[in-house]
Amino acid sequence: MSDAANERLFDHQAAREWKLNKTRNKVDKRMDLTEAIATLVDDGDSIVETGFAYVRGPFGAYWEIGRQKKKDLLGIFTPGGLNNVWHEEGGVTGCHVAYVGVEMRGLISPFRRGVEAGTLKVYADWSHDGLALALRAAEQGVNYVACKSMLGSDIIKSNPYIKVTEDPWTGEPVCLVPAIYPDVAVIHVHHADKFGNSRIWGPTVNDTAIAVAARKVIVTCERIVDTDDIRTNPYQVIVPSYCVDAVCEVPFGAWPGDMPGMYYFDRRLQERVVREYWKTAEATKEFIEQFIYGTKNIYEMLQIAADLEGIHLLDYVKRLEELAFDATNYAPGFWGIGGGRDWKYEEYAKPLI
Amino acid sequence: MTEEIQYTPRELIAIVAGRLMVDGESVFVGTGLPLVGALLGKKLHAPNMLPLYECGGVDPEPRELPWSVACPWTYYKAPIILSMSSIFGHSRAGYADVGFLGGAQIDMYGNINATCIGPYDHPSVRLTGSGGANDMASLCQRLIFIGLHLPQRFPERVDYITTPGFLDGPGAREKAGLLGQGPWRVISHLGLMGYDEETRRMKLLQYHPGVTPELIQQFTGFELLIDKDVHETPKPTAEELRVLREEVDPNQIFCF
Repeated sequence: MSDAANERLFDHQAAREWKLNKTRNKVDKRMDLTEAIATLVDDGDSIVETGFAYVRGPFGAYWEIGRQKKKDLLGIFTPGGLNNVWHEEGGVTGCHVAYVGVEMRGLISPFRRGVEAGTLKVYADWSHDGLALALRAAEQGVNYVACKSMLGSDIIKSNPYIKVTEDPWTGEPVCLVPAIYPDVAVIHVHHADKFGNSRIWGPTVNDTAIAVAARKVIVTCERIVDTDDIRTNPYQVIVPSYCVDAVCEVPFGAWPGDMPGMYYFDRRLQERVVREYWKTAEATKEFIEQFIYGTKNIYEMLQIAADLEGIHLLDYVKRLEELAFDATNYAPGFWGIGGGRDWKYEEYAKPLI
Repeated sequence: MTEEIQYTPRELIAIVAGRLMVDGESVFVGTGLPLVGALLGKKLHAPNMLPLYECGGVDPEPRELPWSVACPWTYYKAPIILSMSSIFGHSRAGYADVGFLGGAQIDMYGNINATCIGPYDHPSVRLTGSGGANDMASLCQRLIFIGLHLPQRFPERVDYITTPGFLDGPGAREKAGLLGQGPWRVISHLGLMGYDEETRRMKLLQYHPGVTPELIQQFTGFELLIDKDVHETPKPTAEELRVLREEVDPNQIFCF
């Protein structure tokens, strides 16, 4: 059961003890993804989603967690829940929910099935800002924050971890949100050095807060860069090395999600997964057998996806890259990604929509 | 002689939504049809409307319609990209005039459910959960809801208040400590609704072309108040439809 993980989630003393024991030395933390998941993700851990679900989410790592059949995880879904596909395999048995879904593409069926059948325990519902503040509280070093979200709603009634009280200065009602400290976070970034300093382009979402809040942090990156590269441009660094336990170079590690400026959200595959593969328990099982247990890594999964479309793997990947935005002047152009393309978005987008 | 203008229900909803965008206001845009309505309004008559997206994008200059609140177009050419707690923090600070969102159910007091159908502990349908919806309704100055109009989607009471409206009536928002004026408009494929100042209950302001207030009442799970100035929604103009079809949603992502 994930009850122990749930207790650890709110234990700021234990979380501090854990971090006091982490190394401050400049240690080369590069690791194979398989090894990082094997050594740093334990059965019964809580794991928080990073990025914004299908934007810069660490899918390569999620699939590897499934491949290694980790058990009894407690998912913190803010937003996301794409990794809760594991619950029917015993992978995720509990969760905290701010949002689980893929917006207009609909609900995530394994989550629905689990909650409706009572096999996936929802410890609490939160608002997005509620969980964002819980993580931010951990980062800012405060026990809790007093906010104005969730007041008056049924979230207050059904969530035992938040409290309504009076602001001692003004007397007005405020909602108290406790700091939370997940066991594991995997953060996918554009660039990282071998010590774990990590740089992104695009939205941080909650990731800096998560890196500080979580006990064990795995960084997966598109590219490992020299530490001088990071030191000469620290402005987009969102994770400091001392939080990081492992650095894994995983190109396409956010696929089939979007990696800002690098490759586009794989809409066709995601829609197929959400609307067909995950629709029933049987189809989900088939998806897991074929895509996860039947492969060794994300590249073999990409190959399956390319085969489904009947095109060469490199063309498949190129199409996703061309769909990523030509953000040269606004973003990561000087990193050698993006580029001043004159392709017409519609021509690429049409067949994908 | 003019040609009869044809449009689909979703196109009508998007156009009515676009008309509600006010130039110079900031709008916290939720997922789905709000993405279309916000961009349409900005292109048609509210060029200085400032969109905010929960993924952190502020005032982007998208070439295309964002299909998600985290879509790269929501931060394309954005002058700043905030973290999630910051974008909500800025809203709480007073920088978000309007919240604009959808949901599974809305009741007569404007409370919205996006969590579950049936009891919370044993739901018959488990939905997505709040996402940023609760925060938008709690922190923005006023709220627009958009959705399809069916009795089960407009019940007297929602199964779970994910997102607070006027809760159980006059004074309840203030008592709960919520910020903002609360629900302001409801756009459906049948009409445009607002709220009665005294009772805080939903009331019909406009019925769409070809629809009557009586029909809307039949599709509503509670007694809908009728505004004394209730009137027919002006038909979409050729220009509105052209901008929607050619510039905002040419790929028919939302409006089909």
